[in-house]
Amino acid sequence: MDTSALGQPITRIDIQTKVRGTRKFPQDFNLPGQLYGAVVWSAYPHARVRRIDTHTAEAMPGVVRILTYRDVPRNEYGINIRDQTLLVPEGGKVRWLGDRIAIVVAESERQARAAAEKVQVEYEVLPVVTDPREAMREGSPLVHEDRETNILRHVRVRKGDVEAGFAHSDVVVEDVYITPMVEHAYLQPEAGIGYIDEEGRVTVIAAAQWPHDDLHQIAHLLQLPLEQVREIVPAIGGAFGGREDMYIQHLLALCAFVVRRPVKIVFTREESFRNTGKRHPFYFRYKWGATREGKIVAVEIEGISDAGAYASTSIPVLNNAVSFMAGPYAIPNAKIDGYAVYTNNAVTMAMRGFGATQPPVAYEQQADRLAEALGMDPVEFRLKNLLEPGTETVLGNRMPPGTGIKETLLQAARAAGWREEAGRWIRPDLGTPSAPYKRRGIGVACAYKNVGYSFGFDDRSTAEVELSLDESGRIGRVTVAIGAAEVGQGVHTALQQIAAEALKVDPARVRIALVDTSRVPDAGSSSASRHVYTSGNAVLGACRLAYERWQKALREETGERTVRAAYTFHGRDLRPTTPYDPLTGQCEPHISYSFGTQIALVEVDIETGEVDLLKMWTSTDVGRVINPPMVLGQVAGGVHMGVGYALTEHFIQEGGYVRTRRLSEYAVPTVLDMPRELVNVDVEVPDPTGPFGAKGLGETPTLPTAPAILNAIAHAVGIRITEPPATPERVWRALQGKK
Amino acid sequence: MRLRFTLNGKPTEVEVEPYELLAEVLRERLGLIGTKIGCGEGECGACTVLVDGTSILSCIYPAAKVQGRTVTTIEGLSPGEELHPVQEAFIEHFAAQCGYCTPGLVMSTVALLQENPHPGYGEILEGLSGNLCRCTGYYQIVEAVKAVIGQGLGLRGQGKS
Repeated sequence: MDTSALGQPITRIDIQTKVRGTRKFPQDFNLPGQLYGAVVWSAYPHARVRRIDTHTAEAMPGVVRILTYRDVPRNEYGINIRDQTLLVPEGGKVRWLGDRIAIVVAESERQARAAAEKVQVEYEVLPVVTDPREAMREGSPLVHEDRETNILRHVRVRKGDVEAGFAHSDVVVEDVYITPMVEHAYLQPEAGIGYIDEEGRVTVIAAAQWPHDDLHQIAHLLQLPLEQVREIVPAIGGAFGGREDMYIQHLLALCAFVVRRPVKIVFTREESFRNTGKRHPFYFRYKWGATREGKIVAVEIEGISDAGAYASTSIPVLNNAVSFMAGPYAIPNAKIDGYAVYTNNAVTMAMRGFGATQPPVAYEQQADRLAEALGMDPVEFRLKNLLEPGTETVLGNRMPPGTGIKETLLQAARAAGWREEAGRWIRPDLGTPSAPYKRRGIGVACAYKNVGYSFGFDDRSTAEVELSLDESGRIGRVTVAIGAAEVGQGVHTALQQIAAEALKVDPARVRIALVDTSRVPDAGSSSASRHVYTSGNAVLGACRLAYERWQKALREETGERTVRAAYTFHGRDLRPTTPYDPLTGQCEPHISYSFGTQIALVEVDIETGEVDLLKMWTSTDVGRVINPPMVLGQVAGGVHMGVGYALTEHFIQEGGYVRTRRLSEYAVPTVLDMPRELVNVDVEVPDPTGPFGAKGLGETPTLPTAPAILNAIAHAVGIRITEPPATPERVWRALQGKK
Repeated sequence: MRLRFTLNGKPTEVEVEPYELLAEVLRERLGLIGTKIGCGEGECGACTVLVDGTSILSCIYPAAKVQGRTVTTIEGLSPGEELHPVQEAFIEHFAAQCGYCTPGLVMSTVALLQENPHPGYGEILEGLSGNLCRCTGYYQIVEAVKAVIGQGLGLRGQGKS
């Protein structure tokens, strides 16, 4: 092949069957003799379960079996710490609405659901705690009675001398920022089927971001050897972190294990909203100081996350969040305290950004306020403070080569019309508002995010490559086996392109094997924007080995028709990371990063509070563009989620009960809600450790969107929305308060 | 009850319960999995199909209502190897990521262009505003729609267009 497979708009490997409607998602599978499962969910956010009576339900038509805690061989699990039961036992506690009491298995779905309503549960209702700030206080109801406190994790960062830093500051700005709970709202509701396969293995077909980790968890719950459990991952209808932790896999596995027949479970959207994990709300206090020259010299930050009823990934999410709370800035003095706190709210977990999404809502408004206080242009102010290769962060680590955040700001600002004159940066003219009661504003925001697992957790991925040679010894077909879940982000196409590039073949010759844990090796999760970087490196390594073996076979004229190679990539071999120092937080947090800047032009209706998104400029440093339209797709999708975060999406709970019950009560932006125009500039500052210089991409483009919009609102009408979403009502109220 | 209708150009007969919804019948009784259920309340548009050429939300549409009528699903757009121009455009413009909303969006686009073969930008947005997509941000979908405008679209092999 003459031209490179990289940087080309190669057609997505999975798209033809998706537009035909023939690609199968978990709910599209059916097996002969299958039964249906329906879950009996907790009726209360906090209660002790006194008695579970299944007799009436068992007598209902079609009921085959009702599974309770007695059927679970080892009733404990958790992706990070084992603080959950699969089915709550009598005498045990429900800690949120999503706790499960039983699973009814019946001949039809309607019969299963009807019988589930007849399972009688006696509860002793307990007081709830729903605000993590209150839950931290002594005397607050304990969510987990075996713990001394609801505080699940505290991370502290101490660098330099914060008091001296503030004393030395010419301006200090401080405020409280609260970010909302957010629902993943992937379009494909949770579904799957569990069965015993032809080799007797407990097998699950489900949409999973980390199939190999699920195996370990299921094996523990069922007390089976690992090789007796299998997971098959077909097409996944969006994930965004919501499928990183098990949500249905363990239920399906238990059903198959006990009933020994195929059992299908499909959640309704209402079940998905009520009973699955969400994005962490954060309660921030920010105090930042800067000199009149425009240098940020001290930050004091407290960030409290609502972990919900169980840990899930709240500890690593908090770890990540703390490492980004000071923003992408070089700051000599910092005092940061982060807390993850149990409550009786929905379990919170990974969601696009993994703790890097909430802090920019605070730090980018802080940066703007410092610039305002200094009478300085927001672009100019940021340029004076942004991280560069080699800059020391508040955690004491130095930023690696490939730190391209300044480049993203320069590109976005220039595209949006900012000009530089005699060292000063000047905002573009915004034109005339479309009506006399509307005001225009423009806002900028920068953000960055780790790529790969952090804080000493080994980021690794294994790929196996098989070359099928034709009679003349040329490569005919290439098969890549890797347990990387295609959640829609395009990882299989990207890996296809990386393999094609490494082997110098047409990408059409490369196929990616179905993700089936019995056939493909562990690649880690589809999270942390890591697969292009980590699994890309694994595929690259395996292809290089295979290429050498193929060349050797040709030289030695062995006549072999198949060449195989496997390779495991370890992030720590290139950039080892370390956990937080318990006292100072100083550490080597992350392997690699990606960087982004976005600029929003808005119009605010001062009579209704409505915000109209006229235009956005986006710039993301991805290291190396593998597939330009796929990069654009990830950026635009990130902006979409950011628009929801800024303006429309708010998952509401009251007293632990869910008030946002369905999609019609949760405003996922439609095409009409998006910025009317999007101008995207890709930035390619290579990371020398990435495959062909590539970094990750999936999460970063959603980080700057909300703060850019909030800063634009502030520029337009002079109000600060510190608690998004900036709904018309909230904007209108803030405008009334200003009058 | 016995339901008789034309499905993707073929006369079809199926026994259904009176309370069954069209999406369920298509998926569970007729095995046409291309029609997706995303919300069960007509909010997300993933279940969009055409009844007598007009788009409807099959997850809230009683199956009994299609008695004697013509139903077109995503499977009916390209019964053979050849793709419908809207499907071609979605591929060309990378207008699908996870793909779960895609059949519904393709069907909404087909319906939009049948009703108005030359929609303006605002009309395209209106035409797609009943379909939610959580992955793409919609821009590439809008580009795909713009690309097929004026290609003289119709439903091929459906008798009715």
